[in-house]
Amino acid sequence: MDKYYLYPATLFASDSSYEVTTVLGSCVAVCLWDNVRQIGGINHYMLPLWNGQGLATPKYGNIATEKLLQRMLELGCSKSSITAKIFGGGEIIDTHISSFNIGERNIQIAKETLADLKIPIVGLSVGGKLGRKIIYYTESGKVLHKFIEKTLGN
Amino acid sequence: MINDSTLISELEKRFNDNKKAIAELEEMTAQLKAVNRKLEESESLKSHFISNIRNEIINPFTSIINLSKQIGSINDIEKAKRNAALIHGEAFFLDFQLKNIFAAAELEAGETFPQIYSVNVMSTINGLIESYQSNITAKKVNIIVKSSIPDDFTFKSDPGKLTLIYSNLLNNAILFSKEGGDIEITVSFEFDSIVFVVKDSGIGIEEDKMKLIFDRFKRIDNTINTLSSGYGLGLSVAKAITDMLNGTISVESRVDDGSTFTVLIPDVHMDTEATGTAIDENGMLF
Repeated sequence: MDKYYLYPATLFASDSSYEVTTVLGSCVAVCLWDNVRQIGGINHYMLPLWNGQGLATPKYGNIATEKLLQRMLELGCSKSSITAKIFGGGEIIDTHISSFNIGERNIQIAKETLADLKIPIVGLSVGGKLGRKIIYYTESGKVLHKFIEKTLGN
Repeated sequence: MINDSTLISELEKRFNDNKKAIAELEEMTAQLKAVNRKLEESESLKSHFISNIRNEIINPFTSIINLSKQIGSINDIEKAKRNAALIHGEAFFLDFQLKNIFAAAELEAGETFPQIYSVNVMSTINGLIESYQSNITAKKVNIIVKSSIPDDFTFKSDPGKLTLIYSNLLNNAILFSKEGGDIEITVSFEFDSIVFVVKDSGIGIEEDKMKLIFDRFKRIDNTINTLSSGYGLGLSVAKAITDMLNGTISVESRVDDGSTFTVLIPDVHMDTEATGTAIDENGMLF
């Protein structure tokens, strides 16, 4: 199984077998899984909303989840067979992001975007005061999840 | 049978309802107009973007094709050399613009991530200045490099991304400098970061335009035909890459007094990517 480290503001989707690791503080990762085509994808965003300035990168929740779905559809997935899991959004004291309640707002935008896209949420571990390390298996859609003490700017 | 006063009060009521309906309609129309303006704006930005791209790619290509065709029939070696230099200039600019366009596309697709190596800072910067030598000579600007780090100083970062940030800043500094002006590049290592400062003696940026300059598709000057890479896509690419490298980019400027861009890129310690400390050994499966 190939390994892939997912950086913040990026996303990854593949129809072959990958072990995707990412570390989350106040960031949120949305894992999408097509049970029929057996294809998995994951994003990792830092802020809830793109304000229309700068590049429309997957650093922002509303962009990241729609782009991830787009990538999945390009790989041959069908929206009706996709389910989602949400992780992260902890209230980590973080010098990189000064905004208030950023974790909570990141979680909220994931839920709203998925509701708009009519993608059911089948699992989540969000909020709290701890960081998380998750490993996403793109061949099964399963996520191995551990709480961690600290993260650096994720 | 209705009497006059009932009739009048009924008419008044209907007039009032009508007035209210008209007021609501006016409000709705105003809202619609506002939405419409925004749509038009985004539509014109989009078509603007396409004409920008067209100018930035097709114009240099047209020059390259024509100049290279001419070379074949030139007997004067000096003239041929001048043509070759012009071709180099156009190709260099095209290469730079395409790098920015592809970097923007990759960043927006979420497909690019830091590839960390040991970077020799001064040789990166000197190499960059060297590659811009013909532009520097053409504009007759003086590049002054002040460095407080040793020539063999290395730090951990993504060399390709770093070079693209610096080349956007240097490119703008040359472009917006007055002929014969000075461009001062200051390099230091502070706060565990490489600090790269480019100060030009150019036209400067108005205060209210300053917050727009890292915005994609926006230019201070909206004339599309004169653009030759303004503060356009390049700075929004530089900003997005700097964010990705956990750095900061900022600008200070006064009209007619030049602009100073400062970029801080922190050293990547290998534990940044580390996974933190698991508080227990038991993972949960979702």
